[in-house]
Amino acid sequence: MFRDARHRGIAIQLGLLIAIFIAAALLVSTAVSNLETRGIPVGIDFLGMPSEIVISESVLAHDPGDSHYRSILVGIANTLFVSTLVIILSTVCGLVIGLARLSENPLASITSKCWVELARNFPPIVILIFLYSIWWKVFPPVDQAWELLPGTYLSMRGLNCPEIALSFSPVGALGVVIGLVVWALHRRLAARIRLAPRFWKLLSIGLLVGGVVLADTHLTLEVPQFTGSNYSGGIELSPELSTILLGLTLYTTGFIAEIIRGGVLSINKGQWEAGRALGLSRGKILRFIVIPQTLRVIVPPLNSQYINVVKNSTLAIAVGYPDFLAVMNTMISKTSHSIEGVLIILGVYLVINLSLSTLANWYNRRVGLTGG
Amino acid sequence: MPASGLLGSLVGTPMNSALTLVFACIILFSVLPAFRWAVLDAVWLDPDPASCRAASGACWNFVYAKLGQLIFGIYPHELRWRPFLACALIVALLAWSVWPASWRRRLAWIWLGSLICVFLLMGGGFGLTPVPSSLWGGLPVTLILTVVAIGLGFPLGILLALGRRSKLPALRMSCVVFIEGVRGLPLLSILFVASIMLPLFLPESLLPDKFVRALVALTLFASAYFAEVVRGGLQAIPKGQYEAAAALALPYWNTQRRVILPQAIRIVIPALANTVIVMIKNTSLVLVVGLFDIISSGKAALADPAWPSPAAETFLFIGGVFFSICFSFSRFADFLEARSKTNH
Repeated sequence: MFRDARHRGIAIQLGLLIAIFIAAALLVSTAVSNLETRGIPVGIDFLGMPSEIVISESVLAHDPGDSHYRSILVGIANTLFVSTLVIILSTVCGLVIGLARLSENPLASITSKCWVELARNFPPIVILIFLYSIWWKVFPPVDQAWELLPGTYLSMRGLNCPEIALSFSPVGALGVVIGLVVWALHRRLAARIRLAPRFWKLLSIGLLVGGVVLADTHLTLEVPQFTGSNYSGGIELSPELSTILLGLTLYTTGFIAEIIRGGVLSINKGQWEAGRALGLSRGKILRFIVIPQTLRVIVPPLNSQYINVVKNSTLAIAVGYPDFLAVMNTMISKTSHSIEGVLIILGVYLVINLSLSTLANWYNRRVGLTGG
Repeated sequence: MPASGLLGSLVGTPMNSALTLVFACIILFSVLPAFRWAVLDAVWLDPDPASCRAASGACWNFVYAKLGQLIFGIYPHELRWRPFLACALIVALLAWSVWPASWRRRLAWIWLGSLICVFLLMGGGFGLTPVPSSLWGGLPVTLILTVVAIGLGFPLGILLALGRRSKLPALRMSCVVFIEGVRGLPLLSILFVASIMLPLFLPESLLPDKFVRALVALTLFASAYFAEVVRGGLQAIPKGQYEAAAALALPYWNTQRRVILPQAIRIVIPALANTVIVMIKNTSLVLVVGLFDIISSGKAALADPAWPSPAAETFLFIGGVFFSICFSFSRFADFLEARSKTNH
C-alpha cells in the first residue's frame, strides 16, 4: 500500500493530523488541570470590570477606573499612533537619504551609506536604550528649558508645544466631509445618475457651506505655562514618546533608504537614456521619470518594512512608553487571565498586520508595476 | 557643462553645492562634537571612578573596569574561565567555518559536539560545579542564543518551505498557518507568549527554564523567516530540474537534497544573510523577558553606585559588539555570494 504515492500521501496527512490532534488534546488537558490546581479563573467577563491600570500617557483619555475594554483600546491607539507617525516620518526621510546615496556628491552618498550600515547592524533596542539614556544628559532641567520657538519648550522632561484645538459638532463635520467627497467625485456621480456635473458641484458647495455653518467651530490656542515643577497645557511629548519616535524613525529610515535605492537602481537603464535623449538633466530625469516608476515598484518591500515598524513598536516597553503589548502585559499580571490575554495580544497584532498587508496588496494591484 | 572630478561633484551644480552645504552642516554639528566627546576628551584606562566624574568626555575607563561584568554577567566570579572558554570555542568554530576548506560533513558533527561542550561548560556536570541557567549572562548567552536559534531554525525553515510547497493539502495548510502566523507577530509578543503559556501547557516536571523557553521561541521565529526566504529560492528553480531528477529515477528526498536545494539556497544567499543578521539582532530582545544577555549585564553594571552611570558609553560599547558581529557576518555573506557566482 505504501508504494503508491497517492496512498502514501494520504497516510502522511492522516498521520500529521492525528499527531497535531493528539498534541493539542494533551496540551489542552494539561492546561485545564493546571488552571484548576492553581485556581486561575477563565472567562472574558473580566473585560467589563475596572482595570486599575495606570497608563502614563496616551492619545485617548484613560484613568484607572476605566474598564479593561477601554484600557485595551487605549493601548491599541498608542501602538497605532506611534506606528503611523514612524511610518510617515521614516518614509519621508528614507526618500531623502535613499536619493542622497545615489547622488554624485561624495559627502551625501558617504553619509547615507554610513546611516544605512549603522541601521542595518545595530539592534533597534540598543538604539532606543542609548537615546533614552542620553536624553537626560543632553537636555537641560525643566526650569532652564530651551525655548525653540515662542511657546515651545524643550527640557529633560520632554517637549511642550502649543496646542491648537478645533472643536466642532459632528453633524457639521459630517456635512463638510460629504461635501468634499461629492466635490471630488462629481464627475463619476454625474455619469452614474444622469444629472449635470454642475448640479453635483452646486450640491457639494451647499453641503460644505451648510456643514461649516452647522459645525459651529471654535479654535482655541493653548500655550504651555510653567507651573513651578513642569510645563502644563499644550501638546506634551514625553521623553519616552520622543525616544521611541526618534529611535524607530532613525532605524527605519536606513532600511527604507536601501529599498528606495534598490528600486531606483532597478529601473531600466533605457529610461535614463531616453530622458537624456530628450535633453533632461539628471535631477529632472529623477523627478519626472524614475521616481514615479520607483514608487510603483517598491510597494511590496515597503509593505514588509511597514509591518516591521508595527512589530518594532513593541520595543516601546524597553523605554517605558505604554504601547499595546506593555498594557496587556500589565493586565495579564494583574488579572492572571493569561490565556485570554495572550489570545487578545495575538489576535490584535495579527489583525493589524493582515490589514496592512491587504491594504498594500490592494494598492500594489492598483498602481504596481510588476514586470517588464 | 558641469565640472568633473571631486571638486565638481562637491560644488559643480547648484544641487551639489546645496547638498554639500547641508551635509557639511550635519557633520559639523553632530559628528565633530561626538568625535571630540568620544575620543579627544575621553578618559581611557584610569580605574578610579573620580576621573569619570571629572571628565567632560566619554568615560571609557568604566567599560574597561567593568569589562568582566559586561561580558560574563552575574556568573560566579571564580568560575569565569568556563564562560570564557565557551565563548572562545564558539568564536573559534565560527572563524573556522568561514573557510570553504572546512565545509565537510564532519563540520556538522563538530558543531554538535562543541555545542554540547559549551552547554556543559556553562551549566556544569561531569565534575564541574553546576551553575543554574539563571546565573548565565552576557556575551555567552547572546552567542549561544544566536548560534542555536539560527543553527536549528535554518533546517526547520527548509522543512517548512518544502512542506509549504507540498501537494498534500493538510501539510501545506499547517505550514502556511504556522509561517504566516509567526511572521505576522512581533518577536516580543512571541517571547511573552512562550514565557506565559509554556508553564500552563506543560506539566511541572517537563517545564523548561527561562533560557530554554526563549531559545524555543527564537528558533521557531527564525524557522518561519528562513522558510519564506527558502521558498523564494525554491520558486526560482525551473521545472526542468525536477523533470531531469525524475528521469534519473531519484526519489523525493534525494531530488531535494542533491538537485533542488543546493541551487535554491545559492540563489537566495543575500536574503538569507539579511535574515541571519536580523536574527542576531533579535537575540537582544530577550532582556525584556528577564534573560541576562549582554544588554542586561550593561544595565546591571550601570547600577554600581561608585560610578556616575555612564550609560551612553556602556550602550555604545554593547552596540559596538553587535555591530562587529553583524558587520563581520555581512562581509562573510558578500564573500559567499561572490564565490557562488564564480562557481557557475
